[in-house]
Amino acid sequence: MEATRSPMIHQPRTLGELSLLFQRIEHPLLWAGGTYLMSRSDFYPFPSKAQIVDLGRIEELKRISRTDRHIDIGAMVTTSSLLSAGKLVLPSILKSALGSIISHITRRQITIGGSVCEPESRMAFSTALAVLDAQAEIRKWDEGRFTAAWIPVNRLYDKRGALLLGKTPFVLTKIRLGLEWGDFQRFVLIDNPIRTPDTAILVAFQATRNQTALTKVRFSASFPKRAFHLSPELENQLSLLNLPIHPDRVNTISYEMAHDLMNRHESITEFQAERTRRVFESFLHELNIQTLS
Amino acid sequence: MKLECTIDSKALTLHVNSTKPLSLMLIEDVGVKSMLSHCRGNACGNCIVLVDDVAVLSCIVPAFRLKDAKIRTFETFHRTRLCRDIERAYRVSGNKPCPDCYASKTLLIESILTELMGSSRSREEGVVDEKAIMQELSLNTCPCMDVTELLAITIQAFEYRRRRRGSN
Ligand SMILES: Cc1cc2nc3c(=O)[nH]c(=O)nc-3n(C[C@H](O)[C@H](O)[C@H](O)COP(=O)(O)OP(=O)(O)OC[C@H]3O[C@@H](n4cnc5c(N)ncnc54)[C@H](O)[C@@H]3O)c2cc1C
Ligand code: FES
Ligand code: FES
Repeated sequence: MEATRSPMIHQPRTLGELSLLFQRIEHPLLWAGGTYLMSRSDFYPFPSKAQIVDLGRIEELKRISRTDRHIDIGAMVTTSSLLSAGKLVLPSILKSALGSIISHITRRQITIGGSVCEPESRMAFSTALAVLDAQAEIRKWDEGRFTAAWIPVNRLYDKRGALLLGKTPFVLTKIRLGLEWGDFQRFVLIDNPIRTPDTAILVAFQATRNQTALTKVRFSASFPKRAFHLSPELENQLSLLNLPIHPDRVNTISYEMAHDLMNRHESITEFQAERTRRVFESFLHELNIQTLS
Repeated sequence: MKLECTIDSKALTLHVNSTKPLSLMLIEDVGVKSMLSHCRGNACGNCIVLVDDVAVLSCIVPAFRLKDAKIRTFETFHRTRLCRDIERAYRVSGNKPCPDCYASKTLLIESILTELMGSSRSREEGVVDEKAIMQELSLNTCPCMDVTELLAITIQAFEYRRRRRGSN
């Protein structure tokens, strides 16, 4: 009995075969590592009418390549293979973000594409990509064919952190990172984003120090299931600062940041905002210490 | 779907829903007694088994990814020499996990030992990153043992494993 009610599973081997499936199936459900899909409380039994497209056999999506200008990471690269393949070439912020995922056991299963396309909530990988000005290659299924576009990762989400790509079926094929990174990069995760989403925070920050001035500051913060925070205003404000930043100013800026955070995202708690403020403040103090030493 | 795979050294043909989680298959279709948990996404870390010798959380692996897979649960793992390294470390420490998480914690330690043995620096010089091991151990949330105690047990078991491999 059980077998006859099974969802249909399609396992294409190439992007060409994937496109044929998109032609035939109206709402394909793409399956990457399956960790998000299977950890939903209503996952099983899965609707028997669902048409699952397992991306796990498409070799083109498992490649990591590098030119002298950028790194391309295929959507089906797992977080553990990216960590081990990329030890020498990845920005440290991305290594910290990938390393923050508990256990080899989950890292081997979680994919880059699944992390970026998880529909509801931003976690480690998207938070780090947001400050690296990463781009996502999205192929939308439009009028019977795929149309590809590069979209900055930090424009893929709304302020709650939900994916914005709408109802048109799409596949993310790769993530592209430029090779110019700031010389100050930090990623901090506090608490477990899956087990304790109500207190967890994820913060990413990078900047370049030019003699005594800060430039190219990027900052993002995520609060699982609640908010995804970017602040171009804060980035601009910091990018004008001279180092070292006066301690009073560090304090003021960090409180302004937390205030702005609470104003823009009603869903986050004061506790989360204060945690984020302290982490942010510690980055500025660290920048000062490095300037003075 | 019809699924052919090997579970605890027995070749089986199961008729299961294509998306059925491996943990539920083991509980309902195979009757594995060491498999108790199915926490539906709360990441309890208490459902670890080996698939083709690699540790997985069985509640997030669907049947359709298991064609021809070789699945090993604690039921046969505990008869191996690999398991003896870990159980010896439990004995020496005078402590061991409670019955509910014994299987998963032991397989989690095994997965850490496999990673360590795969690194030439750890294997040859015995160097380990304690912080990374603690992070690995935190995958299992069962509070019966303190993480520093589990860390000591893991390092001890790693020593046994290294010595045994060295003498082979
Ligand atoms: C036990 C556990 C622990 C976790 N721990 C952490 C952690 O410590 N830190 C952290 O950041 N995250 C963690 N996660 C969350 C995990 O990173 C997300 O669940 C992530 O979305 C999973 O990626 P996946 O490859 O398994 O995706 P899947 O579950 O396969 O897919 C996720 C979503 O993306 C869609 N999708 C996947 N690939 C594509 C593609 N190429 N194009 C278009 N759509 C696609 C799917 O349809 C689905 O909606 C954890 C999850 C679990 C279950
Ligand atoms: S039963 Fe698998 S993580 Fe809880
Ligand atoms: S199962 Fe180990 S203490 Fe609960």
